[in-house]
Amino acid sequence: MSLLSVRNLVIDYARTRALDGADLEVAQGETVGLVGESGSGKSTLGSAVGRLLPRAARRAGGEVLVAGEPVFDLPDAKLRHLRRRHLGFVFQDPIGSLDPTMRVGNQLRLVLGRGGDVRFHLGRVKLDDPRVLRSYPHQLSGGMAQRVAIAMAMATSPELLVADEPTAALDSQVREEVSNVIFSLAADAGASILWLSHDLPAVARRCDRVAVMYGGRVVESGPAREVLGNPAHPYTAALAGAAPAAAAHGVRLEPVPGRPPVLTGPSPGCAFAPRCAFAEERCGHERPAPVRIREQDVLCHRAADLEPELSRRREVTA
Amino acid sequence: MRKLDRLSIGGLACLLVLVLFALGSPAGAGGDPDAIVGPRLQPPGPGWWLGTDNLGRSVLPRVMEGVGTTLLLSSVAVLVTAVLSAAFGILAGYRGGYLNELVMRLVEVLYSFPAIVLAILVAAVLGPGQTAALASIVLVTIPLMTRLVRAAAVAVAQRDYVTSAVISGAGLPRVLVRHVLPNVAGTIAVQGTYALSVGIAVEGGLSFLGFGVQPPQASLGVLIQQGGTYMIAAPWLILGPGVVLVAAILAINVVGDGLRDRLEPRETRSLT
Amino acid sequence: MILELDDVTVTFAAGPPLRRIHLDAMRHVSLSVAEGETLGLVGESGSGKTTTSRVALGLQRPTAGTVRFDGRPFPRRRRALAGRMQAVLQHPHWSLNPRMRVGQSVAEPLDVLGRPAGDAVAEMLEHVGLDAGFAGRYPHELSGGQRQRVSIARALITRPGFIVFDEAVSALDVSVQVQILNLIKDLQAEYGFSALFISHDLGAVRYVADRIAVMRAGEIVETADTPTFYTAPAHEYSKQLLEAL
Repeated sequence: MSLLSVRNLVIDYARTRALDGADLEVAQGETVGLVGESGSGKSTLGSAVGRLLPRAARRAGGEVLVAGEPVFDLPDAKLRHLRRRHLGFVFQDPIGSLDPTMRVGNQLRLVLGRGGDVRFHLGRVKLDDPRVLRSYPHQLSGGMAQRVAIAMAMATSPELLVADEPTAALDSQVREEVSNVIFSLAADAGASILWLSHDLPAVARRCDRVAVMYGGRVVESGPAREVLGNPAHPYTAALAGAAPAAAAHGVRLEPVPGRPPVLTGPSPGCAFAPRCAFAEERCGHERPAPVRIREQDVLCHRAADLEPELSRRREVTA
Repeated sequence: MRKLDRLSIGGLACLLVLVLFALGSPAGAGGDPDAIVGPRLQPPGPGWWLGTDNLGRSVLPRVMEGVGTTLLLSSVAVLVTAVLSAAFGILAGYRGGYLNELVMRLVEVLYSFPAIVLAILVAAVLGPGQTAALASIVLVTIPLMTRLVRAAAVAVAQRDYVTSAVISGAGLPRVLVRHVLPNVAGTIAVQGTYALSVGIAVEGGLSFLGFGVQPPQASLGVLIQQGGTYMIAAPWLILGPGVVLVAAILAINVVGDGLRDRLEPRETRSLT
Repeated sequence: MILELDDVTVTFAAGPPLRRIHLDAMRHVSLSVAEGETLGLVGESGSGKTTTSRVALGLQRPTAGTVRFDGRPFPRRRRALAGRMQAVLQHPHWSLNPRMRVGQSVAEPLDVLGRPAGDAVAEMLEHVGLDAGFAGRYPHELSGGQRQRVSIARALITRPGFIVFDEAVSALDVSVQVQILNLIKDLQAEYGFSALFISHDLGAVRYVADRIAVMRAGEIVETADTPTFYTAPAHEYSKQLLEAL
């Protein structure tokens, strides 16, 4: 059974639709990268896992199951229990996620409860300097603060750690170290990771599986290596080929024209259709149903006939 | 543009009523504030809807005149504060250096005095009266406002659009007027409303102590001071001006909160 | 050479008066940007590349060493350079004055020079791929990529000989990054300006630059032509950066 399963989740804000029927499965001990550009709905999906959505958000359909429990239908007490037992969160802004008025040591003690070994937990995230305990969050560097946040998130041994771009605000060298800490801690504890990011190649290097979001839906998911190296959805293919780092010398990248959609209600067809080079008539008004291409689940009407075409393009740019 | 929330609209309506109420006085509504209309210390009744004071004057026109005096005095004072704070705060925040040090030290000295002590000092130097009340309000409200404007200007000075303008060759006046001022104007407006409520309280306190507006002219402070003497025998004397004072301060604060929510998005919010 | 930095050192003092520490943000940095060339500068934050950009723009005076713009030392007054040098800076959120309409922002550099804007604003907006109607909008109505296009239009409107792009695409989504990078390449081919392109992202720098300088802890550790950076950079640190891509 999956540890996390999100089924056809629809989340609305006052005037926009953030999730338009998203599906996602995370198995026990699995690391999953959730990739999407800003506005794709990945942060909403990440927060929905713990029902941590802003008050303006409204669930218009679908469900989220964590360890079999329907997160959105639980009474508050049970929800808190579920969050405590199963879930850990790490956010993008490490300093902002800590209480600015409280010393780091005290915050950790609060999370650990009586008898918790603060030193041990900081040691696990490679923060051995005892001065950290006496510091206030603003006195720490971004990397150190993020480690503290990770220590707090992992202190309760969650089964699923949701990490929302935890390294986006850090320098690239620190980025590697912080990512290493998260992945090795999770591996030791047998915890699953849901890693939110906009950087497909970086995520594919570390995660077992990758799910790509566009217009509030997961449009492609599958083994990381396959999704990055052999994408089956036109959007994933565009995303994989769009990074400047992916360009060979002298090759001009041709990014997808246009911008991601801002949905106000259910998308009538495939949300990517207006920007898609392969779109045909039905893409505009018929919502694609998931199809299986090799090892990937793909939301695309033309996934099957595009398979050879996309593989060929891949070889040209590589 | 987002609309103000319901609470702020209520505050704004309350203020509007108070202003109309005050404007009624010079228009002659409610009667002559200085005319003796009946026996002394009468409870509310026909002819004197809020009762009469110790000289037999009707309280209603006196409260109307009092609100006007207080609001006008505080508003003028806050306007002076806003102009001075904007000038000093923006210059100190944008230029930094010695000017910044000087302005900040001065502000700290002023800030270290309790408001009412500062006000009494001013009254002692200038002599009691409207000028003293005005100067006191300015001196009491200027430190906080200058500090916050400076803090906002420091933040704006680092924004990329300011750097771009400097790179394009824009001179200091242009940068200050076109880029810094419009982007700290929200802070000035928000702090201005808070300063206004502080101003009303300071005027009330100072006149209450006899250093501010001088009788027979009425201000809320003067009325409360006079009413205080007869609090047991004639509670209506203090009730009218008291309620109006509290209402004015509350309404202004509520409007200030609404303005802040609208003009200062969370990431640029000043620490108050 | 449009810009030359010769043995530039910048030292900052920090801390309380008696225990003041001196930090070198730049140490003996020599760089040059030729006419029509794009020099890429890569480095972590804290490596001194922001200080380098400020020195190149004349916003920071070097503690030691000389800076020459167009063959002459920097004039004492910025005004003398107005319009000949522009910048596109990193934060799309704050690159435009939120209280000014896009058209006013774009016209500002001309305004400073006392030249009438005329049709230049509409023309420039169209050049960077925006409809002329954008002139009437406020920055908060624009996406990050559109704001960066507006910044580029503002930088180009005086037809400067030299533009600094300081982390100009770093905050944008990957697909938008490529759109902006392509735009920069196209405009450069058309207008022939020289550029200093600064970023922590070797991928982006490599994509637009003709030559690349790698900066670390205030020093330039390697300068080489771009093709070298696709295959075999010499310095250990450059190799690390290449591997991280």
